[in-house]
Amino acid sequence: MSAALEQRQLPGGCPLWVLHRPGPAILSAKLWLRGGSSADPSGQRGAAQLLAGVLSRGCGELSGEQLADLVEGCGAGLRCEAGEDGTLVSLKCASDDAPLLLPLLLQMVHSPWLVDDQIALERQLNLQTLQRQREDPFQLSHDQLRQQLYGDGPYGHDPLGVEPELEGLGPQQLSSLAAGLGHQGSVLVLAGVVPADVDSLLLAGVGGEAWGATAPQRRRGPTGQPGAAIASCTDETEQLVLMLGCSTVPLGSPQALALRLLQCHLGVGMSSRLFVALREEQGLAYDVGVHQPARLGDAPFVFHLSSSSERAELAAEALLAEWQRLLETPLSGDELQLAKAKFRGQEAMGRQTSSQLADRLALVLGHGLPADFADRCLTDADQLNADDLQAAAQQLLSQPHFSLCGPSAALKAAEAVWQRHPLGR
Amino acid sequence: MELDLPQAPLICLDFWCRAGSATETGRESGLAHFLEHMVFKGSEHLPAGAFDQRVEALGGSSNAATGFDDVHYHVLIPPEAAPEALDLLLDLVLKPRLAEDDFAMERQVVLEELAQSEDQPEEVAFQDLLRRACADHAYGLPILGRREALEGHHPEAMAAFHHRHYRADRCCLSVAGPLAGLDLMAQLEASPLARLNASTEAAAMTPVPLHAGEATLTLPRLEAARLLMAWRLPGAADQEAVMGGDLLTTLLAEGRRSRLVERLREQLRLVESIDLDLNVLEAGCLVLLEAVCEVEQLPAVEREVRAVLEGLLTQPPQEAEVERARRLVSNGYRFSLEAPGSVAALLGNSNLWGRTHDLDTPLQWIQRWDAERLTRQLIPLLQPDQAFTLRAVPA
Repeated sequence: MSAALEQRQLPGGCPLWVLHRPGPAILSAKLWLRGGSSADPSGQRGAAQLLAGVLSRGCGELSGEQLADLVEGCGAGLRCEAGEDGTLVSLKCASDDAPLLLPLLLQMVHSPWLVDDQIALERQLNLQTLQRQREDPFQLSHDQLRQQLYGDGPYGHDPLGVEPELEGLGPQQLSSLAAGLGHQGSVLVLAGVVPADVDSLLLAGVGGEAWGATAPQRRRGPTGQPGAAIASCTDETEQLVLMLGCSTVPLGSPQALALRLLQCHLGVGMSSRLFVALREEQGLAYDVGVHQPARLGDAPFVFHLSSSSERAELAAEALLAEWQRLLETPLSGDELQLAKAKFRGQEAMGRQTSSQLADRLALVLGHGLPADFADRCLTDADQLNADDLQAAAQQLLSQPHFSLCGPSAALKAAEAVWQRHPLGR
Repeated sequence: MELDLPQAPLICLDFWCRAGSATETGRESGLAHFLEHMVFKGSEHLPAGAFDQRVEALGGSSNAATGFDDVHYHVLIPPEAAPEALDLLLDLVLKPRLAEDDFAMERQVVLEELAQSEDQPEEVAFQDLLRRACADHAYGLPILGRREALEGHHPEAMAAFHHRHYRADRCCLSVAGPLAGLDLMAQLEASPLARLNASTEAAAMTPVPLHAGEATLTLPRLEAARLLMAWRLPGAADQEAVMGGDLLTTLLAEGRRSRLVERLREQLRLVESIDLDLNVLEAGCLVLLEAVCEVEQLPAVEREVRAVLEGLLTQPPQEAEVERARRLVSNGYRFSLEAPGSVAALLGNSNLWGRTHDLDTPLQWIQRWDAERLTRQLIPLLQPDQAFTLRAVPA
């Protein structure tokens, strides 16, 4: 693939990366701003996401309506979303529309309107989403596990927030949060067919001069705060949802790559260990896998499975057995080779579109890692052997937490399995 | 069908067959989707799991999806491994083994899939909407099948279903990606696909009925109320009308400045979200509306949705509104041409159903729609009295 990467600094300090990619005249832009929901001030959980939602509701000289007219009138997509470690502003448009739309990126973070009325609307929408999410047993189990792994720490809540605290958020809190945007670290990545005068287009959004921001530093994010080893949530569902997980290490830490290979081995594709052992050989589930997001701090590493309530005991035994196996049995030569092939395959799949390329580069740079981080990982992964993977598992995954959601009889059956299992405590 | 995308890092191989759930007889409920699962359980030559193992070892991935009209199996693979993956894929889909013990095990997986979807009250509500709106037509029945029917299926019936539908005139293979140096066409000439016989009887397609009406459904575990509505538009064979439908649903519910979102979410603040999806189907496209709101707001939401739709007749769309929709739909289409997976899917699906237009043509169709034509041809079809309306409320 022929793509040329340029790097420079925008006046004011924000690094700008431009990935010129021949092909369809599409432009994807990603502005990563460190400080997502994990940086929500005390008593203001939900503030980062609320602010992200309000950023596109008016900035500079444009009201929310005018901004929407401009973006939608170009048939473009503009989104702002807070994750745990950062807020991401994403723009995707036809390259011809870049002159109209690129100035918005910095303008949105530099001079958002933060109108009371629009904040109230966005807050109401977030509160309703939090409520609706409780329809989903996976969400309930996931929220419960997050509490078990992170307690009331920075990673302990949904980026949407915690209802009573979200209810109290208004212009005052958001203004002080907005003033800090970019100062904890920011990076802007453009990919696709990018216009020549891109710097001046970007700066047009901040009066043509400079936007005060700093490059993302490599800094360790929030840690786990382990709580209850097992937790259950009663829900009158057909299935029991089971999640088993630990908080581990940040993206880019020495053992993260070993965990990533374990995740490929266990959860990527239909030949993965969990898929074969739990679905193909036992028919225990439709959906089974491993959740391992990239994080600045201690990332979760989670097995998930949902199985019919009447097979709760079998499902719990099988899931715990797989975790135990991970600690006790090193990968065979073939398994290790397959895991590495999958890791390479996943990398290629994440490089198909300009948006994917921009997204991955922004994530890596936002974490304070080098731009060639993904390539280095491919090389480094080749050097890892089965002992390295097992050592990482034994060091990081020896005390998993068990989260269950389902009808009470199924909960009881799964809890009993946990009580008598070596991992139970 | 093949299309060269020199910039793409991967090739997508996509096998399509006119064997969706709508081709099932009443006793075959769920068989099309169950077969899609069983295909991955191996063929005459490949033991269960060997296909996934090999494709994934080559750095690829595969998946499949069953719809009402058709089913497709796709593999995303580095170019150098594409010839091998192609042979494996064709072997798998054309000669599935359907072994007894695998069948019993995979039935459990399908039943788990069904249970998982039944635990999502929103999915239950949509299924109920389709059942009421489309009555006995296949589009009103669950693709996953009825539990009792699934429990009674056996491999012989599945083999018969496969034999009946996986035929030369009912299949299409599409390939998109960096094809330089590969001669997949020559490989195909010598493959089992080239030796496939045509079907002996033509399959009839019954146009989907849409019964206007209304109902209220009480659902346990629902946290927010839903207003669901269903309409019918012309079927996929009329691709120009499909693009018109895409424009109209975009004009109504895509973005903050669309009529429904602006009125119900931004101004009146009655809903958490409101969506209008165009489901492109051969026997008649279905437009499905979903509004999520507090249960107390449901009557107001329904009133306002009706007012917006009826307002399209009294206040026809302005040119600016149509242009906004044209840009959104055109860009959405252009953006989708970036990835080999979506290009292969577009090509494969079109050709499966005998549509041979090239990839740029839909962009021209979009330009042929204006406010006057939308008002004349499509807006009258999307009126409240033409819809089935379902209110889903928490128990």
